[in-house]
Amino acid sequence: MPIHSSVLWLIPFLPLFGAILNGATGRWVKNTRLVDTIALGSMVLSFLLVLGCFAQLLGQAPANRSVDQTLWTWFDLGGARVLGGVTHNTMNWAYKFDPLSGAMALLVTGVGFLIHLFSTGYMAEERQNGTYYRFMAYLNLFVFSMLNLVLGANLIVMFLGWEGVGLCSYLLIGFYFEKEFCAIAGKKAFVTNRIGDFGFLIGFFLLFMVFGATDFDTLMGMTRTILARPEITLFGLSHAPTWWFNLIGCCLFLGACGKSAQIPLYVWLPDAMAGPTPVSALIHAATMVTSGLYMITRMNFIYVNAPVALALVLFIGALTALVAASMGLAQYDIKKVLAYSTVSQLGFMFMGMGAGAFTAGMFHVFTHAFFKAALFLGSGSVIMACHHEQDMRNMGGLRKLMPWTFASMGIATLAIAGIFPFSGFFSKDEILWRVFEGWYNGGHFNGSTLNLVTWIMGMLAAFMTAFYMVRLMVMTFFGEYRGAGHDPHGLTVPSEVVHAAGHDDGHDAHGHGHEAHAPHLPQEVPWNMWLPVAILAGLALVAGFLNIPHSLHWIGSSHFSAWLQPLLYQTGAHEAAEAVPAMEYILMAVATLVWAPAAMALAWWFYAVDPTWARPRAFVKRFPELFRWVNAKYYVDEFYQAAFIGPCKQLGAQLWAFDSLAVDGMVNGAARFTLLLSHAMHWFDAKVVDGLVNLVAWILQQISLGFRKFQSGRVQNYAFVMFLGFLVFAFWKFLA
Amino acid sequence: MPSMNAVLFISFLLFSVGVAGVLIRRNVLIILMCVELMLNAANLNLVAFARHSGTVAGQAFALLVMGLAAAEVSIGLALVVALYRKKDTIQVDQINLLKG
Repeated sequence: MPIHSSVLWLIPFLPLFGAILNGATGRWVKNTRLVDTIALGSMVLSFLLVLGCFAQLLGQAPANRSVDQTLWTWFDLGGARVLGGVTHNTMNWAYKFDPLSGAMALLVTGVGFLIHLFSTGYMAEERQNGTYYRFMAYLNLFVFSMLNLVLGANLIVMFLGWEGVGLCSYLLIGFYFEKEFCAIAGKKAFVTNRIGDFGFLIGFFLLFMVFGATDFDTLMGMTRTILARPEITLFGLSHAPTWWFNLIGCCLFLGACGKSAQIPLYVWLPDAMAGPTPVSALIHAATMVTSGLYMITRMNFIYVNAPVALALVLFIGALTALVAASMGLAQYDIKKVLAYSTVSQLGFMFMGMGAGAFTAGMFHVFTHAFFKAALFLGSGSVIMACHHEQDMRNMGGLRKLMPWTFASMGIATLAIAGIFPFSGFFSKDEILWRVFEGWYNGGHFNGSTLNLVTWIMGMLAAFMTAFYMVRLMVMTFFGEYRGAGHDPHGLTVPSEVVHAAGHDDGHDAHGHGHEAHAPHLPQEVPWNMWLPVAILAGLALVAGFLNIPHSLHWIGSSHFSAWLQPLLYQTGAHEAAEAVPAMEYILMAVATLVWAPAAMALAWWFYAVDPTWARPRAFVKRFPELFRWVNAKYYVDEFYQAAFIGPCKQLGAQLWAFDSLAVDGMVNGAARFTLLLSHAMHWFDAKVVDGLVNLVAWILQQISLGFRKFQSGRVQNYAFVMFLGFLVFAFWKFLA
Repeated sequence: MPSMNAVLFISFLLFSVGVAGVLIRRNVLIILMCVELMLNAANLNLVAFARHSGTVAGQAFALLVMGLAAAEVSIGLALVVALYRKKDTIQVDQINLLKG
């Protein structure tokens, strides 16, 4: 029996209240500490509530682990025509705190709080120019939307959150909207996500047509009945239930591609780095981009019964992991490297899902949230310490200057590279193992060849991951600091930072005087910035032990998989096929002892052993075309520009031309016709109608001109006429 | 005792002078006087015919006309005074308000 709770709604709504309060009043609040109190306070309360609910879950038997709250009936679906006739379900605004959404909520509020804390230091400049409250309100609004996404008990509440996080992402990427590239990046993210949302909505509608319900529990419970049907007829098409499940799965996956930045819709995420770094950490690494993964795990009852969709997820995930990792190899912007790394890691997660290992994929979501948030926040600290410099060629030597940041990012790097016992080892290598196992055991869900191919792609991507992360660390933290005009090897490039543009109010983030000619050496950032990074790094260090793979059961057990087990649809097909420990041992040993260290050593040999970077230069000189293509990100953006955006704009221009010529022309033509008609009417009125009237008047005038001669006004004339008349009368009388 | 024809002839002359004066002269006072002449010509006729027929009705009627003429002259002169005050003239050719 699920537990009913009356305070569950406060978990998402507390951040909403914080957002409303800060957003409505922050403009007039002089003391930004008050804004901090509201924003962080609502996050802390929300986090504590999540902890409380989580403790409640832990006290229950696995089958009963669910805390529910229905707030109100949103709308009544009664009467909607679906497959089984007419549905009688009601759409509720309901929240559901079960093992999956609870763990996600813990992640969102926990990591979210740490990033809020980091922002209080990172956004110090905005405290002065009055935009600080706006940033905090957006962050809180994002947390509200994200919690709606994960806690929603049905697809509609989830979709509300899905759109909400997209909106907040747009608002926060374009936070510095006075700079044009930030506004453009925000638009790009929003529009790209709309393409994904289109697929998501189609999938959602199909799902509703088939099931007649949107509630996750109901959907999962109905799956077996639906699958038992010989065929399903919708829109006049008759196909087996699996065919429809494949279609739904592919459509929903398109939505996941948009939100979680997979090929072909990943292009917005690197550009999203235009936003403030805490936003990159919270939205574009730890939480929002994982919502696609969350959705697929939620919908696992669809995907395990949709082999084609699952194969698509596997392949797209592997392709994204490989391509994005290779793009990360040749970037110089520290945040761009991390952005491609995020895209690549998300690809790994989708690979796990595609191999049917939903728990492994979700586990990587968690470990990745820790180490990638740590890396992003650490890069934020580095950027701030280096006076808003983002190009790694102008950094270096920060190891001694920023020890806390260096240590935290070092741990996170080892974690993402997959070195035992850091968390990335457990999560990433489990994914790779499950993909490999799919081939080894003849494929659970997909063709075994596909599993082998994707496994090779994944291994290559893992190699590149270790390489570019060590490259990032070496370029940033080792050697000598190159930013202060001290550059023996000529490695620096002209800085793209325009100090006058965004930060012209004459103060630096950490209170230094602003001196363009003699920049200070970078310093360690204040505690409220390095502490969240250190906590996240600590989590990245230990989180792996939550899910020890089967082969290492002597260390511990796979708590995380067991925790999520009640949410997974039991096909009953592959229960028996457990791992082949010997092969698993070998692969893991190879991965952690040979593969990742080899990549790291290679990067070290390239960039650290020889501080003049002669080897990478020689490599570039040897293969200039290869470097050019990778550095330009394979010209994907240019291709999209030429293939889709350009034609769309062309089409828009054509439509506009049609509109202005034909549609406006018709309207203007009608107006002109009316004008001409009224001119003619006016002429007729003035000439013909008025002419007749004037003619009558003219005739009368002419007549009266004759008569007026008689009216001389002389009294003697009148008397004379009277006298003549008298005479006539007299003569007439006389003669008669 | 003048003959009847002689009296009627005198009366005719008087009346003709009156008509001519009314039609020709421009001065209102003269015109009024000429009107009196015409009235008196008529009176002369009335008296002549009264004597010729041997009744007194004509003589009585002549007396009535004299009274009437006095009233007419007084009204006429009053109009002339008013006119003079209004237009500063008593020449009828300069008074043509009713000209069309």
